[in-house]
Amino acid sequence: MFALRRIGLRLLLGVAVLWGAATLTFVAVFIIPGDTALLILGGPDARPTQEAIAQVRADYLLDQPFIVQYFHYLGNLLQGDLGQSYRLRIPVAEAIGQQLPSTAALAGFAALLAITLTVAVALASAQRRPWIRAIVSSAEVFLASVPSFVVGFALLILFAFTWKLLPSSGTAGFPSLILPAATLALILFGPLSQVLRNELEEVLEQPFVLTARARGLSDFAVRIRHALRHAAIPTVTMSGFIVGGLLGGSVITETLFSRQGIGGLMLASVYNKDLPVILGVVLLSAAVYVVVNLLVDLLYTSIDPRVVTA
Amino acid sequence: MSRPSTRGRRVLTTAAIAVAATALLASCASAGGAAPTAAPASSEPVEGGTLRLSISAEPGCLDSHSISATQQALLGRLIYDNLVTLDRDGNLAPYLAESWDISEDGKTYTFHLRDDVTFSDGSPWNAEALGLNFEHMRDPATKSPLAAAYIAPYVDGTVIDEYTFEAHLAYAYTPFLYGLAQSWVAITSGKAIQESPETLCQNPIGSGPFVLDDYKPGQSISYVKREGYHWAPEWLGYEGEAHLDRIDFTVVPEEVIRYESLVSGQYDLTEALPPQNAAAIQANPDFVYENLIRTGSPSVLHFNTSRAPFDDIRVRKAFVAAVNRDAIANAIGFGTYNVKDNYLSSKTVYYDPTTEGKLVYDPKAAAKLLDQAGWTERDADGFRTKDGTRLQVVVPTTQSATPSPLLVQLQGEVKKVGIDLVIDQVPQAQLSERRYAGDYDALSGVWHTNTPDILFIRYHSSEITGERIGQNSSYLKDAELDELLQKTRETPDGPEAAKAYSAVQHRLLELVPGLPLYENQSQWAYSKRVKGIEVDTSHPIPVFTNAWIED
Repeated sequence: MFALRRIGLRLLLGVAVLWGAATLTFVAVFIIPGDTALLILGGPDARPTQEAIAQVRADYLLDQPFIVQYFHYLGNLLQGDLGQSYRLRIPVAEAIGQQLPSTAALAGFAALLAITLTVAVALASAQRRPWIRAIVSSAEVFLASVPSFVVGFALLILFAFTWKLLPSSGTAGFPSLILPAATLALILFGPLSQVLRNELEEVLEQPFVLTARARGLSDFAVRIRHALRHAAIPTVTMSGFIVGGLLGGSVITETLFSRQGIGGLMLASVYNKDLPVILGVVLLSAAVYVVVNLLVDLLYTSIDPRVVTA
Repeated sequence: MSRPSTRGRRVLTTAAIAVAATALLASCASAGGAAPTAAPASSEPVEGGTLRLSISAEPGCLDSHSISATQQALLGRLIYDNLVTLDRDGNLAPYLAESWDISEDGKTYTFHLRDDVTFSDGSPWNAEALGLNFEHMRDPATKSPLAAAYIAPYVDGTVIDEYTFEAHLAYAYTPFLYGLAQSWVAITSGKAIQESPETLCQNPIGSGPFVLDDYKPGQSISYVKREGYHWAPEWLGYEGEAHLDRIDFTVVPEEVIRYESLVSGQYDLTEALPPQNAAAIQANPDFVYENLIRTGSPSVLHFNTSRAPFDDIRVRKAFVAAVNRDAIANAIGFGTYNVKDNYLSSKTVYYDPTTEGKLVYDPKAAAKLLDQAGWTERDADGFRTKDGTRLQVVVPTTQSATPSPLLVQLQGEVKKVGIDLVIDQVPQAQLSERRYAGDYDALSGVWHTNTPDILFIRYHSSEITGERIGQNSSYLKDAELDELLQKTRETPDGPEAAKAYSAVQHRLLELVPGLPLYENQSQWAYSKRVKGIEVDTSHPIPVFTNAWIED
């Protein structure tokens, strides 16, 4: 009962977050200078007729004041209608639906790679000799601080252009997923690994670890069965950061690797002031955050029953 | 505290690395793509195969009437046919129209259409379909950025019989047919226009040699061969179906990657080859490099002649004389750009070569002209002033990580004679607005089109934005020029038209509405394994109807 009420409250809060995000985005795009109708009709190098301009203004309410446009949008949103893309001329839900699978595949595979790499490296390097930790730690700091396009370019130069092992661009098949996912994963790995390793080192100092060792458990088993479980909590706390990294990182990664996806869609939409699509993507990202945070909350209690969040 | 054994540690680390490495290698073994090999040339076309291309951008919509994107020149040729075409010499030639008659007054066009053409949705090509196309182009609901303007004088049409259509124009407009030969004015299925116009962006229906197979906006477009196609224009020298089974386009926005992935063999052809890689690709024996001049307007920095300082022709002439265009074209185009010294591309029909050499680089003359115009004082930064005002020229441009290299070069050139060129980077939306509000001193741009009517579009006073949207970005208003331009539109093709266009070109050199820089180049490269590529003269882009891939 208590848990259900907590979930209900969180969902309600989530709706407020979505509404706030939509409103802020609406205002932000609205105040960007520039005539949206002219942009829809081909930008500075086109010759639209007067009639076409009038039609666009009327169709998209661009001749109406802000408040009319805003409430019209909210009204449609409440009915589940995200509107129509100015640029692609299809419903926003469809536009996002076209791009979502490839971003989901990229983000999913990148998260898998990042977590596997993080756990493997942290387990292998925690409480080891100083020179090992120095090497691992410098690699982490380097990857956490270097811009993702530099990492992406390095991978491209090595694997695509020099050794010709992997395709440099496209969304066709698993091979084209590897380099962009590795780029995202390496970027996430830096900070994640630092957090997990530090935590592991602390946990490995705890008395219960000594007890476990005294019971004759191997080092490997101690690390996997006991230490990792305790050390995982701060890493799970960072899931918001992971989701943010995956969504934000996908913009650059998708552009660099010429991949289809939400990042590319968002970039083109911002460039073209395609307000309905921008709002759609913002709402989607906000919803993902809300859901992930809720899941993390629930996950805490299952990892460590002592944790009860309000 | 006891330290874990060294051995256990090693095993774990090695295992992690091994797993990662195997995963990477195993999944990519087949992904490399065969490197192009120079096989002995065989003359017999090979049937089948997939052509893989990379392009710099895609329009977001594939309905030719709803877009103005450059890439449509190339994309449109695949799924659409046009009413007329330009042959290898750039002359009008039959396509979906077998022939046409133009009335004495130039206002009525009678088209005699082919009777053996169908669209890929099975509907027939006929006079009714042509009428529906004209209506669709100018229907405000189509939101046409370009096609509607090209057929603007079209009033209405009459279906004379199944395969004869009469188009009525408001005034004599000789460029009409040239416009109809362009990809943006290509012919769409009449049935689709009537039944589902809202689906044409994502699912365009034409009568061309290929049919859309799969469209992933922002990412890729795939086409498959149209079975039974046999109405290619005569100049292609080939009538049947396309040889290729399939054409796959991938959008590769980064130019470095466009070049590298072409060379590494992931793609067979790339559109928009970056000029800095031109020398390398030319030296590479596995590739063919094309560097062709687009017709229409070259790259010009247009002066806003409606306000200071460019309302003074002496300042305009001084600006032109102050710039070493050879140096700029070389630096920007890495030696691949052709310098231009008038306002019409040299490949456009009725281009007059006697206009060449009239605009020369002469910094001394530039300084003298500026003195004469009263810009005699200098401020602390070395820029010229008049009555305490600096000789400043604001040029807005689209926002980017690095400012336009062209404008930076120009800035350095004109600084030498005391002109302060200010580069104003603004978002695309704002640039459109300022462009149409005339809020700038100069604006750089190109416009490729297959007709010398570009001169009307660019420099006739009726094309100044105000009541309507126009492309006269130099705000040029000259009664004599207007009269000459009107005459070019009304004069039928032939020696008279050549004379009229020549007069316009000479008048423009007197008015100096801008600084011509270099020709608008179309650069692309492809693997030598690809044979039979033809070049469209309407826009110098590859046509793939005859293309095939060597085994």
